Formats: sequence, structure tokens, C-alpha cells
Amino acid sequence: MRALRGLPILIAILSAVSLSACNRSSAPSVDQTKASVPGNTAAAPAAPVNDDARALAAFLERVNQYATLHQKLENSLPKVSKDSTPQQVDAHQRALAKLIQDARQSAKQGDIFTPDTQAVIRKLVGNVFSGPDGAALKASVMDENPGVPNLKVNSRYPDEIPVSTIPPQLLQALPKLPEEMEYRFVGNALILMDTHAHIVADFVPDTFPK
Amino acid sequence: MLKRASTASLVIGLLCLVEGWTGAARVVAVQAPQSAGGLALTLPNKADSFKFAVLGDFGTGSKEQYQLAAQMKQAHDQYPYTLVILVGDNLYGSERPQDFKKKFEDPYQPLLDAGVKFYASLGNHDDPQEQRNYKLFNMDGKRYYSFKPDTKQSVRFFVLESSYLEPQQVAWFEQELKGSNSDWKIPYFHHPPYSSGERHGSDPQIRSALEPLFLKYNVSVVFTGHDHFYERTKPQKGIVYFVCGSGGQLRKGNIDKSTGLTAAGNDQDQAFLIAEINGNELSFNAISRQGKVFDSGSITRPK
Repeated sequence: MRALRGLPILIAILSAVSLSACNRSSAPSVDQTKASVPGNTAAAPAAPVNDDARALAAFLERVNQYATLHQKLENSLPKVSKDSTPQQVDAHQRALAKLIQDARQSAKQGDIFTPDTQAVIRKLVGNVFSGPDGAALKASVMDENPGVPNLKVNSRYPDEIPVSTIPPQLLQALPKLPEEMEYRFVGNALILMDTHAHIVADFVPDTFPK
Repeated sequence: MLKRASTASLVIGLLCLVEGWTGAARVVAVQAPQSAGGLALTLPNKADSFKFAVLGDFGTGSKEQYQLAAQMKQAHDQYPYTLVILVGDNLYGSERPQDFKKKFEDPYQPLLDAGVKFYASLGNHDDPQEQRNYKLFNMDGKRYYSFKPDTKQSVRFFVLESSYLEPQQVAWFEQELKGSNSDWKIPYFHHPPYSSGERHGSDPQIRSALEPLFLKYNVSVVFTGHDHFYERTKPQKGIVYFVCGSGGQLRKGNIDKSTGLTAAGNDQDQAFLIAEINGNELSFNAISRQGKVFDSGSITRPK
């Protein structure tokens, strides 16, 4: 079952990249959104149509591998419920972070966002931020976003630093992530954040166009 | 029981009556009286109305937060609202278990003891994993959700996470709006589509993503935070936007008076809002940490 988990996401991103190549300004249709929901396997996978699509498809495979590991480790912990106390939720979060950090001891920047993926991500970000609203979009991202010196993979997201806003336009352009992952900006870096464990899974440095 | 000033002392001014276009919410602002004992509230306090409070940007653990919390209890004693909607930035800084106590449970314990429920949305300072699973925030493990309060009035709240407004969330929001038969459809979230904040101000991305849905599904009022002051906007395309971002934080003098958006504002003291829905009318009082009712009025929902 888990082996199929990434399939609909893969379908969605291939579709999105293909459409994006045809018309950058077109918004995803409701059908595209449905297609990206895990469990929806209505369509057969299309072959990657270009290098960018291939890079993003491979990226999502790595994301899904991470998510599978995350789920396996999280399932080994006592479950958090709506009746959990803050102590239990906090303990769960830190315990999950420790398990993931131990399991990914050798993880380094670029393992998930490989160099070819980084190039495509920078291109997608550039497309969104180079438009007429680019300056305003960047301002909203950089609002209360001072960055972190020595950002590291596997490190806990700093408690004192608010999370950046991710503009809806950018979330439309980027590949859809599993539930436990989010994109955020830390300074100029786009991070892949594990929201359950509150840690940085990987990041793209210097994401914004110069 | 709601404390009422005498007729002689009640100075009611019709400050604005805006009907710029068909279907716009009608707003009547009322100048509140002040009284020596208790808060000089002007809400109708009808028996079957729905009463609630709005609070944002509060979880600092500061003296000011506690003082405002005391005013919220005072207001509740006079005007028994049943729930508080939280427009984000519920805890600043670390979110250890002791922080939930110091920055939330302790200041609002008298309200919690009185049975008042808090329904949170997430701001940019909030850790989703910690807060959506926090029982007293009633998020039921979700980053965004909707709920219908226990009232005879026709109301549903839609709670969004505006710092991560991905396509699935927007699609979910539209489905929820479409499926709701409530007269009052009230969205609340952190980042304001309209605000006169010099520090943050209006968020055009959030506005472009959400405003078409507000208009399509007949939303009349929206509650937000993020800018650390109180502001009620003039109706924007028929919708009144409240910024309630000074529940603990305060950015003095931060309202830019040149925006032309402001119907009423307060950037000099911490504040919260209490409101009452009765039929097609939503009445409101904004109350400062000093216990002054500095903005009052009512919004009539177009049928």
C-alpha cells in the first residue's frame, strides 16, 4: 500500500509541470487538486515529459521515502490524541525528532533537494517572484524572517523564530508534499520542514533570484 | 448581566452608514458611554443571541496580557460570552508545556473555569504540531477546520491557516462555504487581507486567494490579527475586516492613518473584542486593557 503512496503525487506533479510549460499563468484546476490527494489513483502515470519534470518526480520519490521512514518511526511512539497534554505532545515531538535524527545521522544538505532538484526549485521560485507582484511576495516571505546562521539538516527548527508565510502562488507552483511536511523559508533558504518532529529535513540555500 | 447606562447618559452617534453597493454589510458605529463601575458595554445581551469574544497576538506571558485577561473576565461577568475565537500568535517564543500554562492557562483560567471555550487559528509564531493537538485550543488535531457553535443563531466559523494557504486548503474552504447553510459565515485567521499596519499592513496574497470566496458566499465579517493593534475597517467590497492583534502584544502608533481603510482603531493599548449575533445583526464592543469600550456598533448582514 505504501509503495503506491507516492503515485498520485507523482501524477499530479507531472501534470502540473506539463501544464506549467504550456501556460505559466494558469491556475491548477480542481481536478488537479483532487489528483494530488493520496489514495486517488484514477489516472495512469504519464512518462516524465522533460528534465525538470523528471527531477521533480525523483524529488517526490525521495520525499516519500522520508515520509515512509517518518511514519514508521512515529508509529513506534505512543499516539498523540486530542486528549493529550502539552507534556505528552512535546515529548512526542522531541522523541520523534530524536528517532529521525538517529535514523538519518549521515543526512546532509542536498540529499532530498539534490542539485538538479535545487535548480528546478530555484526556477519555479524565480517564476513566481519575478512577476509584477514579486517584490510584495518577497516582502511577505521575509517578514519576521531573519534567517538562521549555520542552518543544518536534522536540526530543530528554532523555537524563537516565527515561521515564514509561503505565498499561495508559490504553493501552487511547488510539488505537493505529504501531510507531515511543509515548505518554509528561513532567510533565503527554502526548507523542507518535518512539522511533526519540528526539524529541518533538507533545504535549498539562496533560493531567491539575485 | 449587561450593565446599561441611563438613557440620559447614553450618547449614541451615528458615525458612519455605508451602503456603497448592493449587498454590502451595513455598519452603524455607536459611541459608547463610560461608567465608573464595571465595563460600559452597549451590546444588546439578548437571551437567545450568540455571544463570543475575539483575541489575537496574545501569548506573551506579560503583565499586559494578564491585565487584559482580567478585563475579559470582567466582561464575561457582565456579558456571558460562551467562546473565544483566537486569531493566531497564541504563544510567542518557546512552546514548552510550562509555556502553555504561563501564556494561556494561567491568564485565562477564570474564563476556562467558567466554561468558556477557546477555538484557535494558527499564526506565524505558532507551532502547528504543538497547538493543533492542544485540547484547550479545540482544533481537534487540524490546521484548519470549521465549526458551528452551540447556539440558536445561524452561525458557522471557518478557521484557516493563513501562513500556509495551499491549494488544498483553499479548495476545502470553498467546499465548506458551499456546503454551509448558516446565515453568518465567519472566517477567521491570522494575516489580514486589509490592515493599516505600518509594520505589516494588508496582505495582498491572502486577499487575492480568499476575497473572491468571501464575495461569492456572502461573507459579511472577517476576523484577523498579525498587526499589533485593533482596527475595524470600513467595508471593503461590502465586508468588514477586524484586526484584533493586540491581545498581549502592542505596537504603539502603528496604524497608518493615510490608508483610508480605518473606520475605528486603537494602537495605544491592548484590546479584545466581544460580539453578539442576533438574527441578521452582529453587534460589537472593543475593550481596552484600561477597561474602556472604545469602539461599538453593529453590522447588518445583507439577506
